[in-house]
Amino acid sequence: MPVIAVDAMGGDHAPEEIVRGVAEVSLETDIDCLLVGHEGRIQAVLEEVPYNPERIAVLHARDAVPMDEDAHEAMRTRKDSSLMVALQAVAGGRADAIVSAGNTGAAVLAASRCFSLLPGVRRAALACVHPRLTEYPGQDPLALLLDVGATVHCEADELVYFAVMGSAYARRISKVPNPRVGLLNLGVEETKGGPTLVEVHRRLRAQPMIDFVGNVEGNDLVRGRADVIVCEGYVGNVALKLLEGVSEVLVDVAQAAAERKLVWRVGLRLLSRGIERVSALTDFSRYGGAPILGFDKLFIKCHGRSRARAVANAVKVAAKAVRDRVPEEIADAVGGLR
Amino acid sequence: MTLRPRRGTTPVPPLLCRWDLDKTYLRSEFDTLRQLWRAARERGADKVEVPGVIEVLKGLRAAADRHGRPITMLFVSASPPQIGEAIRDKLRLDGVPYDGIVFKDQLQLLRRGKFANLREHAGFKLGELFRGRAASGVATREVLFGDDWEADPVTYSVYADVVAGALSVDALEPLLLRIGVDREVVPELCALAAQVAGWGGVDRICINLERRTPPAAFALFGPRLAPSFNYFQTALVLAADGWLDPDDVVAVAAGLVERAGYTPRRLENSLADLVRRRFLSISLAHRLSQPARRAGLLPALPRQAWLARLRAMLARRGAGAPRAPLPGPLDYDAILARHRSPARGGDQEAGAR
Repeated sequence: MPVIAVDAMGGDHAPEEIVRGVAEVSLETDIDCLLVGHEGRIQAVLEEVPYNPERIAVLHARDAVPMDEDAHEAMRTRKDSSLMVALQAVAGGRADAIVSAGNTGAAVLAASRCFSLLPGVRRAALACVHPRLTEYPGQDPLALLLDVGATVHCEADELVYFAVMGSAYARRISKVPNPRVGLLNLGVEETKGGPTLVEVHRRLRAQPMIDFVGNVEGNDLVRGRADVIVCEGYVGNVALKLLEGVSEVLVDVAQAAAERKLVWRVGLRLLSRGIERVSALTDFSRYGGAPILGFDKLFIKCHGRSRARAVANAVKVAAKAVRDRVPEEIADAVGGLR
Repeated sequence: MTLRPRRGTTPVPPLLCRWDLDKTYLRSEFDTLRQLWRAARERGADKVEVPGVIEVLKGLRAAADRHGRPITMLFVSASPPQIGEAIRDKLRLDGVPYDGIVFKDQLQLLRRGKFANLREHAGFKLGELFRGRAASGVATREVLFGDDWEADPVTYSVYADVVAGALSVDALEPLLLRIGVDREVVPELCALAAQVAGWGGVDRICINLERRTPPAAFALFGPRLAPSFNYFQTALVLAADGWLDPDDVVAVAAGLVERAGYTPRRLENSLADLVRRRFLSISLAHRLSQPARRAGLLPALPRQAWLARLRAMLARRGAGAPRAPLPGPLDYDAILARHRSPARGGDQEAGAR
């Protein structure tokens, strides 16, 4: 059974919600979790909720990386943080993968120090899953977007590797034999986007191992043209936050409208199930987390605001990825590219 | 390997172990009427025990024999005597060394029209506990075994406090009424309690967390009550108390591995959980687990384990002190407020079911 190291102190609601999420997993699955963080605080939360102690180990770490701390500063001063101790547990073989809802910058930087980049990979990519329209029954309603913040700007070579890694991940996790890969750009024409994106387009088009569907635009993100969408971290992060923001605003606007007029309230009441479905579709807690790709070990990064349900789902995603040998699949794909 | 006997050498005080049956020894399922009906019709061979319990029962007897300690093991069950034959068959098949079994005569209650008492077990159990102790003698030490489905934590704690002299017989009467015990049997219970009040000797109450009730729900019961998630944890607590030897703990671990699919990692996590809940000190956990590690039932410790242990001990300074006994009787107002009486029905927390 896989062992998943969980950074108990990372996240806006740590350690309470993180520990609760792990407790849920311990009762529902056969996944073993290694909770890393302040032992006393972890135990205090555990004792208040139902859990299965046979599935949970605790590894003490006396420090934690605050959510708003500079990543380099955190690496310099917090060597005994829960994040670093958890990463070392994975690197040393005590656990098979790590899940963290903590400081994203610190997570990427710490992973680059504790894990090894796959041969040929120069930069790791932070992925996220986002909801999209489906075209046929049984199609995965989620697409993979990467990079969403591990890098700011990328070279063509790096984006090509992102595409290969994303495709390999989706092949295993979404069970799509040939995931369609798109390049996020200003337009669908292959000459759009400047020299870097044109070069990436040319090279992906020439890759036999990738089902490249060409450039995709922002509105294609939710249309489902591609299973994997590749972009620079700067662009990806903006796109991700925009998707989340629209979903939240939709609910807020509906609530505000309902308070103003009776007719609107009645109308929204009639639409409530639809609004709930849209809200559920964009609810990140359902999807748990997404991987940081490019390392020899698996890192599932959760949203900073993750609550127990999201953490539990992230742990399940990590365990599934370990069982499906995702890191090996990605390494093979990257090896084939070279 | 044996631990030094905890108490003096001569005379060795006798040990009295009282066990609940359903959810403590047997993995009984009777959440629905259909399950209840099926449980009533089961033969001994059909009944399934909680993993590890047989080895604990056998270990208690073996350790007592090893140390020349007289031991009596009794089952006190609120199930009707009509299932007695199947239960005895099961105990015989499992080779469990027990000395007696008491059932609640539900049929008599039905005949007397005492329908409300069919589900009220605290009065019945307290009566049997007081009677059993009176027959056993002043010097007896006791360990009680129950689960988090019924009223075992409350019933056993009330009994232990009366026997310890922490709860007076005068205070017992209103408490029994609050718990929901039939008003008619309260005087008899108080008379029985008076016979054994102040005798002392209830050393441990072991509660099997069959429902996975959060351990914090039992904080009000004090450190005498040890909630355990499996019988490996129970065995470790009993070994720490001196009622089992480390080799008996090995037998329990082996039983869990061989017959219940436990892995060394699951057992190790259970051990660590008990240490974090402060029922075992790190050094005692280390000592008790050594034979199991040698037998390959627990993972071997890494070469620098002593360093990790030292670090863990330092990290736990202050917070890691053993749980201190609560002075005087337990705060039954708080317990009953949190764990509502079974007689009042409703959604109850563990301990008063």
